[in-house]
Amino acid sequence: MTQKELQVQRLVKEAQEAYLRLHTRRHFLKESAMGLGALAMGSLLGGCGGNSNAIAPVAFDPAHPLLPKPPQFAGKAKSVIYLHMAGAPSQLELFDYKPELMKMDGQDCPPSLLAGKKFAFISGVPKMLGPQARFAQHGESRTWVSENLPHFSTVVDEVSFLKAVTTDQFNHAPAQLLMHTGSPRLGRPSMGSWVTYGLGTENQNLPGFVVLTSGGSFPDAGKSVWGSGFLPSVYQGVQCRSEGDPVLFIKDPNGMSRDLRKASIETINEANRQEYAEYNDPEILSRISQYEMAYRMQITAPEVMNINDEPSYIHEMYGTQPGKSCFANNVLLARKLVEKGVRYVQLFDWGWDAHGDSPNNAVNIGLINKCRTIDKAITALLLDLKQRGLLEETLVVWGGEFGRTPMMENRNGINAPFKGRDHHTEAFTIWMAGGGIKPGYTYGETDEIGYSAVSGKTDAFDIQATILNQLGFNHEQFTYYFQGRPFRLTDVGGKVIRDIIA
Amino acid sequence: MKFLFTKKKYVITGIAVIAATGCIFLLSPTKRIDFNTEVKPILNKKCISCHGGVKAKGGFSVLFREEALAKTESGNPVIIPGDPNGSEMIRRLTSKDPEERMPYKHEALSKNEIHILKEWIRQGAKWGDHWAYLPVQKTDAPDIANNWIHNDVDKFIYAKLKEEKLQPAAQADKATLLRRVSLDLIGRYPTQTVAEQYLKSNNDKAYEVLVDSLLASPHFGERWASLWLDLARYADTKGYEADGGRSIWKYRDWLIHAFNEDKPYNLFITEQIAGDLLPDPTDAQYIATAFHRNSMNNDEGGTDNEEFRTAAVIDRVNTTWESLMSTTFSCVQCHSHPYDPFHHEEYYQFLAYFNNTRDEDVPGEHPLLREYNDTMQQKLKAITDWTKKYASETEASNLKKFLRTLQPSVNSTTADSLKNAVIANHNIQLIIRNHAVARLKKIDLQQKNLLVCKLYTNNRSGTLKLHVDAPDGPLLASVVLKAIPQWRYEYIHLSSQTGVHDVYLTYENPTLPADNKSFAVSFDCFGFIEQLPGKSVPGFVKIEQSFHELLDAKVTTTPVMVENPSWMWRKTNVFIRGAWTSKGKEVEPAVPKIFAYAMPAGAPKNRMGLAMWLTDKRNPLVSRTIVNRLWEQLFGTGIAETLEDLGTQGIPPTHKELLDFLSWKLMNDYHWSLKTLLKELVMSATYRQDSKLSNEVKEKDPFNKYYARGPRVRLSAEQLRDQHLCISGMMSDKMYGPGVMPWQPEGIWLSPYNGAKWINSKDEDQYRRAVYTYWKRTAPYPSMITFDGVPRVLCTARRIRTNTPLQALVTMNDSAYLDMARHFAYRMQEEAGKKTEQQIMKGYELMLYKPISQAKLSLFKGLYDRALRDFKNDRDKTCEMIGMNDQHNNPETAALVVVANAMLNLDEIVTKW
Repeated sequence: MTQKELQVQRLVKEAQEAYLRLHTRRHFLKESAMGLGALAMGSLLGGCGGNSNAIAPVAFDPAHPLLPKPPQFAGKAKSVIYLHMAGAPSQLELFDYKPELMKMDGQDCPPSLLAGKKFAFISGVPKMLGPQARFAQHGESRTWVSENLPHFSTVVDEVSFLKAVTTDQFNHAPAQLLMHTGSPRLGRPSMGSWVTYGLGTENQNLPGFVVLTSGGSFPDAGKSVWGSGFLPSVYQGVQCRSEGDPVLFIKDPNGMSRDLRKASIETINEANRQEYAEYNDPEILSRISQYEMAYRMQITAPEVMNINDEPSYIHEMYGTQPGKSCFANNVLLARKLVEKGVRYVQLFDWGWDAHGDSPNNAVNIGLINKCRTIDKAITALLLDLKQRGLLEETLVVWGGEFGRTPMMENRNGINAPFKGRDHHTEAFTIWMAGGGIKPGYTYGETDEIGYSAVSGKTDAFDIQATILNQLGFNHEQFTYYFQGRPFRLTDVGGKVIRDIIA
Repeated sequence: MKFLFTKKKYVITGIAVIAATGCIFLLSPTKRIDFNTEVKPILNKKCISCHGGVKAKGGFSVLFREEALAKTESGNPVIIPGDPNGSEMIRRLTSKDPEERMPYKHEALSKNEIHILKEWIRQGAKWGDHWAYLPVQKTDAPDIANNWIHNDVDKFIYAKLKEEKLQPAAQADKATLLRRVSLDLIGRYPTQTVAEQYLKSNNDKAYEVLVDSLLASPHFGERWASLWLDLARYADTKGYEADGGRSIWKYRDWLIHAFNEDKPYNLFITEQIAGDLLPDPTDAQYIATAFHRNSMNNDEGGTDNEEFRTAAVIDRVNTTWESLMSTTFSCVQCHSHPYDPFHHEEYYQFLAYFNNTRDEDVPGEHPLLREYNDTMQQKLKAITDWTKKYASETEASNLKKFLRTLQPSVNSTTADSLKNAVIANHNIQLIIRNHAVARLKKIDLQQKNLLVCKLYTNNRSGTLKLHVDAPDGPLLASVVLKAIPQWRYEYIHLSSQTGVHDVYLTYENPTLPADNKSFAVSFDCFGFIEQLPGKSVPGFVKIEQSFHELLDAKVTTTPVMVENPSWMWRKTNVFIRGAWTSKGKEVEPAVPKIFAYAMPAGAPKNRMGLAMWLTDKRNPLVSRTIVNRLWEQLFGTGIAETLEDLGTQGIPPTHKELLDFLSWKLMNDYHWSLKTLLKELVMSATYRQDSKLSNEVKEKDPFNKYYARGPRVRLSAEQLRDQHLCISGMMSDKMYGPGVMPWQPEGIWLSPYNGAKWINSKDEDQYRRAVYTYWKRTAPYPSMITFDGVPRVLCTARRIRTNTPLQALVTMNDSAYLDMARHFAYRMQEEAGKKTEQQIMKGYELMLYKPISQAKLSLFKGLYDRALRDFKNDRDKTCEMIGMNDQHNNPETAALVVVANAMLNLDEIVTKW
């Protein structure tokens, strides 16, 4: 490093510190004068009706919004990989084994299951639909898994299953939003935004919150499920792509060599230093450091996003398809990203809706094909993280936005041509692994046909509260002040699911 | 100065107390306790989380005075005015027993805090109103004069600077001011003539001439519309899952016009809130009401239209408060406001103003204004005149409204009692099979003898019958539907009825197969109207034909507000805990009690009455909000920093008297003219200061709260694009029209169930101002989002500025920005001749209106030489850097593009200073 570079680095560091100091002091002063937190600070009040116990507030430094920050308490997990199967996979063909339902297959749905209920598409009296897969018990935990996930069956002892998850949203977009932002409507920050706002990120050369999508379409709720809502936009998820630029605009213009880009950034920064000498505004120093960081990100991100340099046994293990855009590639990327210090990696795989209006979304055809595209990858992810010693500090979550009905779908009163199930809010399965979660455990139970939760009922807020807890946040006290009140991810709900914590 | 102000306040409150309490405290030696600044902060911080709003533990709440003085669960009041030692509150705050002492299980109050509360109770436990909830008073500017002060704004600023022992900065140089004030007032660079005229003039008035010409520029409206689009949550799509397109750009154009013509702010608000309720509203007045049709519309299969209609109404309430009154009303949706004096019920009283518009979250987004061209307008006039002549004014006006908005119409999605019929996906439209029955509830049939029904059927020989009150009730009409493979209007004549009835629709078709599986007819909406009069008069046929032609005409439509007629009137109920499904007490339209004083006498209980209340000079929030917002746009921070909240939880204003001074002026002296207000602000010495930071100011006022220097903030996403377009010489001056699609990377749009594609606009539309960029809520234009643009899903009162590496990547690598760099390089060559130094010098001047320093010149020349080496040795790279453009395909130009790209990334160009 040249003398000049060292000098700039020192200047930048000083500026950062001074800025942070002033910032904190200003808010501290306001705090004493006014009694409440300001916008740029996690407020001291715990959301609507929360309790007013103060834990360390989260400071927001607009000049360096992504620097690592300590959590409220020591958490088990440092990063999160959230695998969302958009469209909602059927729990009845994967994890929630219901032999009783088989006996009812083809019968009219009893009126007791329909009275006062609302479904997205079912109308009139639908027929019951038995499980469309065979099940067996696996591992020391004797966990039931269907034949659709033969590889995953081998790692059930790493996982905690939540079998009685519920939601109150029976449409994809609102249910996905609820799962990831704590509200069925657009406008709230997503979990990854909250987490990077609270913790910053370890690797400044990569985005702190990365989103990877597969399945040919974005999730139904669009980019809002990784939006930053009312948090500063710097906390929104950065979509990394396996085709085109891995990160938008990361590639230098065609014709510009890396060396030339370096020279260009050095020129920009030197001119900015001259400007700083004249104008003395610390924001200029911050801009200089952002350009340096951009340069490093240009090197780091494509490296990380390139899976070709992984050994062939890893490719085999994950079932990747190099050169293509697919879920397995994204799962491997997710591992690479957390390894490099990315805080939150969110995957969405589209195409899990199963209404039975075509073979592709029949629970006995399309669903099986979808399972094949994820089975090896999710299994490999747990094994690979474990062999690298990363599973302990990486929380992996798998699930959809709601469940599927034990009844066959009959849209507009007509039976679906293939075997399909409607959206179901009263019971579905989500699993978590790593990051301090109990291995080989099942929590929650549904009734004998998998219609509703009978014990260990949980919901999106509980899952969010648990994820935040594993990262070192009390979800009731992790808030952001907006529109005159402190907001939290879990709104007014959420209980940490203590039973699944190791 | 501070001392004087404070003393004055003592005197005023002193008098108030004497009046209120009958001289009890006249001789009190202790100073008067101020509720807002001394007591309320303690209550908010230490008490209110258990005793107010959501919670009232022990039956005690400190939110409202009547609650705080009321009996609690113990049977006794906790506060006894005048008797601190007899008040349970003080006893509990000072108790030694940890089970009794408040705040429970939290740190005790300090001695000083307890003293304040005691003294306050002794003085009568008076509640004070928060400053922003009191009417704006005429405020005098401080009586100071000196050479620096240019206008009254400066007097306030200077007084405060003096208090803080700071000195204002000198005026910025002309080049700096030219760029600053242009970006601020018109959001882009002015024409070369305007710029040169100013730079060359030695006249004292030159700056004012510049300001006046900027204020008169048509680009003024484009810049300020951008601001309003965030508040109005404007987008070109409907939001939610499908996020399909919506044609509402006419509203954006309305805003541009309104700002350009300096529509007085009170009228500006009135038209947006209640333009449709003005007498015989113009198209523009209808379009203004699209302000509140920018709420989202959910087309996802299976969603409940009433749920999302309700969500839209709630959004309108929240947006009205947030955008026009900087007040966070959304808390009150679920419970009484925890900090500000709003009761739960008041939320729904306010919501009642918005709860009677015709929109019902249907995919067609009815009601839509149909804009007719001149020829069609003539037909419309002929029909109206005819109806006036042969029927009445009222009928003419009803028909005119129907032809323009199709209202009042019943959406087919509200049909029920269905047999052989369904509402497709629960929310799209009514579709029926053979032998169908469907009911339309409570239709006013009084004098309604024509049904205009929008339907689709491709089956011949089906008979549609309408019956009154029962499927086999008296026959209203019977019609055999023709098979036509397109949506059409069916005109069905009805037998005479009186009053309001259920209408049953039946359908029988002998030609359909017996299995009756497929659907035969789809319905969109049903308009029950008075038929054209004068049937026997010559000329009727032509009038009737015009009537049909107008409805069939392909016209631009815009979602607008239309009020329900009385027979469609919805009741409004309180939602218990904010849940739309649990309805509580019924309420009438009203504004919160604390502001009811500003309700003009005789104001109707509808949106027009609401608009009258908003724009009444006694409304304390509307003028303060807009003044604060405009100030923030120019200076980077509001006078009250929290643009979104002037309530008790907002950050208090740094210069409250100035805020009030300007707010009063706006309403009175300026007659609500925003241009006049902006002129006052940019003419001030405060605004014109140099933005250099001295070490002293950096230490004492790092965030420029006191304005000892000029503003210095990063450009907004829109300003940045527009500025770069100007510098590159590519900016299109084309105004108005549907959103355009400038270059964006592949794969940004991938919504499910939506084939919509981003198709790059052609030619000049590639280079339109940012305000015209097509805005898709779930996938907004990426480079603008990176620069802190907001998705415009909800009203956003303030963009938080960030500084991130992703922003650097946009301006360095985004093809749209690279393209601008190329054109910038060509422009340098064209305007400066062959010599590289000359070209760079010219380029810098085009960017910043001033000469480049020698040091920067050699830096960029160095980069040029470095780049030239690359390109001289590599023809392919040259070609790529130029983008395959033959005319410029040489190493010199390629190297200059690299320089242009670097120059457009300088801090001084992405920052306004």
